[in-house]
Amino acid sequence: MLKRTTIAAAGAITAMALLTAGCTTNAAEQTAKGGGDYAKMSPDALAEHLIFETKSFKLDMPVQEGGTAEARLKQDEVQVLCSKLRGKPVDSETAAKVTAMSRETIKYPAGGIKLGDWKIGRQLAWSGFGYRVGHRNDDHSKAKNGPGGNCYNCHQLATDRTGGTIGPPLTGYGKLRGSSDAILKYTYDVIYNPHAYFACTHMPRIGAKGLLTEEQISHVMAYLFDPESPVNK
Amino acid sequence: MLYKAAFAVPLALAIGASYAADRFADQAPEEILQTLIDESGSAYLNQSPQNRQMMPDNPAYWVAEEGEELFKTPRGPKNASLEGCDFGKGPGVVEGAYVEMPRYFADTGKVMDLETRLVHCMTTLQGFAKDDPAVKKRHGSGSDMMKLQTYIAMQSNGLPWNPSLDHPMEKAMRDAGEVLFYRRAGPMDFSCNTCHGVTGQRIRASVLPNINEPHEWSKAISWPAERAGHQNVRSTQHRLRGCLWQMRHPGINAGSDASIALLSYWTDAARGQPAILPDLKR
Repeated sequence: MLKRTTIAAAGAITAMALLTAGCTTNAAEQTAKGGGDYAKMSPDALAEHLIFETKSFKLDMPVQEGGTAEARLKQDEVQVLCSKLRGKPVDSETAAKVTAMSRETIKYPAGGIKLGDWKIGRQLAWSGFGYRVGHRNDDHSKAKNGPGGNCYNCHQLATDRTGGTIGPPLTGYGKLRGSSDAILKYTYDVIYNPHAYFACTHMPRIGAKGLLTEEQISHVMAYLFDPESPVNK
Repeated sequence: MLYKAAFAVPLALAIGASYAADRFADQAPEEILQTLIDESGSAYLNQSPQNRQMMPDNPAYWVAEEGEELFKTPRGPKNASLEGCDFGKGPGVVEGAYVEMPRYFADTGKVMDLETRLVHCMTTLQGFAKDDPAVKKRHGSGSDMMKLQTYIAMQSNGLPWNPSLDHPMEKAMRDAGEVLFYRRAGPMDFSCNTCHGVTGQRIRASVLPNINEPHEWSKAISWPAERAGHQNVRSTQHRLRGCLWQMRHPGINAGSDASIALLSYWTDAARGQPAILPDLKR
């Protein structure tokens, strides 16, 4: 114990000496091309600088939706507003803005909301494949039903598989709610853009961001509503 | 098994509720973890009893032994050992160095994490080329980088996380890291906070650590750790890369300033809690 304390104290003195030297001779050199002194930037400005100007991310790599990865880090308005909360519950002003904006994004299938094949929906709800880039890239052509819906990551659905708990459990979804036009529309809306009802939710905007196609959404809806689906057994 | 002998020393001094700086200093990682579990009842900390059973025989100890040898052996074109490398507490001082990183280094004018600092010393002090496998290979228990990181980090086992925020650059990087942590982006709108802002939530079967719960966060950032599912020792940069991949964000470059900013924020979030090094994770 004594030895450790002594070393720690000596270390602290050394560190102080180094810091003092650093401050007088060499202060704040962590600068990047085109950027200013990090210590003089606001946290928000520095964060943006670090993302886009310091080669921290592989911004040039192609991504599955087309274009390059850089576009993924450019925030849209909903992302900007919800990030500002820093994890705190949404305030009413932000909620009103986000909700209004999000409602406008929802597009409905030409033939109305229909239920597809719950068996495909089950696979999509389970699959966490798709859109990952970096050290390994998801090859969407290798997924029979397209990229997955990631539903089980956060939701418990049928009880034959373990789902996450970031979102509420959806076990017995259709059985408990029936399948009126109103509940089908509500469910479609929440899948398409959940911010229309739950401003700054953690749930992805599955339809608005094109993560699942119209047809894929119909299969996931079937998994939720079909009386034969394990979700409702 | 020198390490085991050291851990066998019974701890007579750990009395009292607050964490004195040396409260956990002579405890084995599994003993530290048990204390955190007892104090918090955390489902995250408690989720892998089998892994906890394996901690006394953590394969990371053998990786660290090889790291110690590498550390002390003169290597590279300049035939120098890393005993001349300053990790923030003076040349060759590794005890307690890791829990104070990332930190500002006057000789480079940068805030650096352990991996970045190692690369700096291996390329300058030892003269390795940047694309030499000794420097370039960052992942896997067989890599020099993981052997060295595991050895160095272990010398901070049980010490409280205490990253320096005295220098304006350290503060700036920590604060930018906080912005990055909460910054939603990508096709799925994910930020780090999507998964790490609430206690007890799961992705499928995995209980997630909460950055606002220091007991949990201390284990969450205790890298290097043997990952049972990978059968390899993994680094903090490897964890970051994996998270961003799942978040559908672009790949991050190890040692980049954005990565250091995130590590600065997340290490600060565990301040005062004892490091569990090496850890064993699922």
